[in-house]
Amino acid sequence: MKIEAGLPEKLEWIQHSLGFFGPELILFAGIVVVLCVGIIIPSLRAGSGSSTPLVIGLIASLFACAVSLAGWNQETEGLHLFGGMIVNDRFSSWLKIICDVAGALTFLLSLKDQRKHVSEYVALVLSVLLGAHMLSMSVGMIMIFLSLEMISITSYVLAGYSFKQEGAEGSLKYFLFGTASAAVMLYGLSLLYGITGSSIISSQEFVEGLLAHQSLLLLVAGLLALAGFLFKMAALPMHLWAPDVYQAAPMPVVALFSVVPKLAGLAVLTRFVLAATAYGQSLIDWKAIVGLIAIVTITAGNVAALRQSNAKRMMAYSSIAQSGFLLIGVAALTEQSIQFMMFYAAVYFVANYLVFGYLQYFESKGVLTIPDFAGTGRTDPVAHGFLLAGLISLTGIPPTAGFTAKLLIFTGLYDAYRITDDSFLLWIFVPGLLNTVIALFYYLRIPYFAFLRDGDGVPAKYLTWTNFLGLVLVLTLLGLFFRPDGLMGWINKITFVL
Amino acid sequence: MPDHILTYLIFLPVLAAFLALFIPRDRSAWFRVLNLAVCGVQGILTIIAIVRYGSETGDLRLIERTEWFSLNLGTWGSLRAEYFLGVDGLSLPLIALTVFVMIIAGISSWTITKGVKGYFTLMLILNAAVIGSFAALDLLLFYLFFEFMLLPMFFLIGIWGGKRREYASIKFFLYTLCGSILILVAFIGLYISGSVPGDVATHTFNIMYLRDGSNYVPGSVLDPSGTWLIGGWSARNWAFLLLFVGFAIKLPMVPFHTWLPDAHVEAPTPVSVILAALLLKIGGYGLLRIAYPLFPDAALSLSWMVGLFGVVSIIYGALTAMASKDLKRLIAYSSVSHMGYVLLGMASATQEGVSGAVYQMVSHGVITTMLFLIAGVLYDRTNDRMIENYSGLARIMPVYFVVVLIAFFASLGLPGFSGFIAEIMVFLGAFRSNVIHLSLAIIATLGLALGAAYYLWTIQRMFFGKLHVRGAASTEQLTDLDLREKVMFLPLAAITLILGIFPQLLLNYIDPFALGFVSLLTGGS
Repeated sequence: MKIEAGLPEKLEWIQHSLGFFGPELILFAGIVVVLCVGIIIPSLRAGSGSSTPLVIGLIASLFACAVSLAGWNQETEGLHLFGGMIVNDRFSSWLKIICDVAGALTFLLSLKDQRKHVSEYVALVLSVLLGAHMLSMSVGMIMIFLSLEMISITSYVLAGYSFKQEGAEGSLKYFLFGTASAAVMLYGLSLLYGITGSSIISSQEFVEGLLAHQSLLLLVAGLLALAGFLFKMAALPMHLWAPDVYQAAPMPVVALFSVVPKLAGLAVLTRFVLAATAYGQSLIDWKAIVGLIAIVTITAGNVAALRQSNAKRMMAYSSIAQSGFLLIGVAALTEQSIQFMMFYAAVYFVANYLVFGYLQYFESKGVLTIPDFAGTGRTDPVAHGFLLAGLISLTGIPPTAGFTAKLLIFTGLYDAYRITDDSFLLWIFVPGLLNTVIALFYYLRIPYFAFLRDGDGVPAKYLTWTNFLGLVLVLTLLGLFFRPDGLMGWINKITFVL
Repeated sequence: MPDHILTYLIFLPVLAAFLALFIPRDRSAWFRVLNLAVCGVQGILTIIAIVRYGSETGDLRLIERTEWFSLNLGTWGSLRAEYFLGVDGLSLPLIALTVFVMIIAGISSWTITKGVKGYFTLMLILNAAVIGSFAALDLLLFYLFFEFMLLPMFFLIGIWGGKRREYASIKFFLYTLCGSILILVAFIGLYISGSVPGDVATHTFNIMYLRDGSNYVPGSVLDPSGTWLIGGWSARNWAFLLLFVGFAIKLPMVPFHTWLPDAHVEAPTPVSVILAALLLKIGGYGLLRIAYPLFPDAALSLSWMVGLFGVVSIIYGALTAMASKDLKRLIAYSSVSHMGYVLLGMASATQEGVSGAVYQMVSHGVITTMLFLIAGVLYDRTNDRMIENYSGLARIMPVYFVVVLIAFFASLGLPGFSGFIAEIMVFLGAFRSNVIHLSLAIIATLGLALGAAYYLWTIQRMFFGKLHVRGAASTEQLTDLDLREKVMFLPLAAITLILGIFPQLLLNYIDPFALGFVSLLTGGS
């Protein structure tokens, strides 16, 4: 980390770093290509038409994913790149892989209905992915802020991509809320920089600086910084934007929002909390703070979801609650709990895309609110069967991977309790699990209306593209329940160091 | 074939359910035949299993065991889940009961006309899940089957149920899921604390390993020799309590029983039968297979509580049954009362008591099947189950009357029927027990008197006196039993009589189990 080095050394450093920057360069190239294609192809220039840009986006994200996968076995320790601003480790690689696959699925879902300004759309989605890549690797405050804003600004535009009034409203709300929380976060980070004298949160200097100034100011500064990360995760108390944005945005974008920014925010939050606890020496109990946030987020998300009648809004609150479950992994803060959190993230991603895929399918048939689903289960049992599998997985009931994921994340918590004897972990444990019962109540509402209520549905074809995609995702969820060892074997290689 | 007989028993209905998906939905008869054929083959497999099991010992037999998956958990070792099936004197009678009741429920389901395809597919899945729960000896596998019962049951009640089916199905689901979450908390604690013999780094869900106190990681939360306290109370007591409440919801035990009358009343007859005869048994089975043997120390010290709740259930269930106006609700509450004997029997921690508890589970399974079918017979004819609307039915439905007499007398514990054997053994155990207080046993005898009272009163009200039908129904609708119904009742009545006269037939299997169970309990204290 030779910040004070001369120009030639810096250039050499950058050149060296670029070698480990493959996936990001691919995404960047994808953005450039897709924008050029948008200019060259006349029908695209006119603002409508072709699905070529979506295919380019698909290829770019899958290619980026493949490069991350290929590099999986090379990164044993975290590689500090670009003067220590970012770290390339397996923790970030894993999240990048999930984000890339999520991006690819977003493009697949978009094939069906995205017909306006397609190349710009693809460029924006790729930018979100690129921002998520950067954020999940960032340890320098400047990089954190830049990449977080990269996700945010592109997200604001995407949120309004339905080109309707409510879309513009949702987008504006997202923008106002996002700008405010970014400012708050920036203020917190600047205070932290002032306290510690280092802008690299993974550096020894930063940790020592924190330890030397255990004060109320540090608590406030840390909380302010956390606010920005929690905003990206849609966790309490920074969750208010989510329902409006989810309701207004196009379904593929909602699916993207529910996974990619969330996981990127989770990554930076994890790194920050790990640094802030200063190897357990910090006087401020950051784990307890995160634990408290987690349990409040889960409960509030679930309770609010109970009262929703719009399927997208319900899923918005569901994704808020799921953020809380992810945060439990951070609250436990052991190497295992982080690994379990990574497993949970992967399962959450699959189940969420499954659900949103089918919500889009039903939305295209004019089914928007939950009561609209009445009777559709009888006429379209295949789609509802698959949707049920996704919802069951989000609830955490066997035989889906959602159960395994919850089992593991609570195992991590239990084990952290055993090691540290921190009784607050136990206070998360029981309400966290009991929340599953509340969650069941609303996750089952769609199948409940579909199968139990009478209504008229139109007979559906079984052999559709959506059902094929659904089948693949359902089989993934079942497979990860019956054979979780394969994926966990991979995740076990994530050694988490600052 | 014989090597994997339990696997065949479990996965035959799963396979059939998969096949059923490809049968056109308008071929109702095909689904009925498919379901019956599966149950029939299961019946043959069960007979083979009983023959191969023998009866001399309480050991596990017909064991199938292979590794399911093994998760590497980093620095604190690995987690091994096993595909581990086996039966002993506890589970073999219950599996036989399951197959038998499934056959009867299959025949009873012929009256279902709406959504036959979905109905029988769910029935087949439920069939597999129940047998799987009784055969699984790995906590994770057990939990898989245990949870797998929820969704089919939810839809069976919610789609094919009565007027308040939606309320009843949601209530059933929420209660049961609450219970299973509590169970899950205990399971997580168990596998984190337990390990395979000789290797503390390999954590296990294997029930047989977890029964042995020496297989716990020293210093872990549930280590029997450890002193881990949570809120001033031993962690093992907490874990036992979680399992107890979790399974007691399923049993159901007062005060966690309120889902039961709703679910039973709203469910269609065959589903009520399965719910009462089989799903309640999983609660009792879970206590006998998991909660007690894994925490013998905590179980013994909390036995007073188990016994107390048992007695409360007996008395409260009986009193509420007496006050019920709906025949099906009366039967539902009689289940609450009868499952109280199961709790009392196991709380006594004596061989007689535990044998009686298991005997009661099997006996109640048979008798309650009759009872719900009886309520179904009436409901099929008139759509009215209010006791006050009928009188003098004995005159026009003589065969039905005989069946009702047999079922009611069997249920109230008349000597000569299986219920008597079960209850007498529970009382023998409860009076002899030095774990629970004598007064509990004395109060519980009240339950016998109350049981006799509400059954005899019901007979008097509905079957004696002048022929009279009130409400929408008319006497013309009240035809006597047809052939299909007679075919269902005959084996049920025969079995409860046979088990009442030759208890050794069943006790040969149960007693060795009870002996081992009690020695585990008292040896572990």
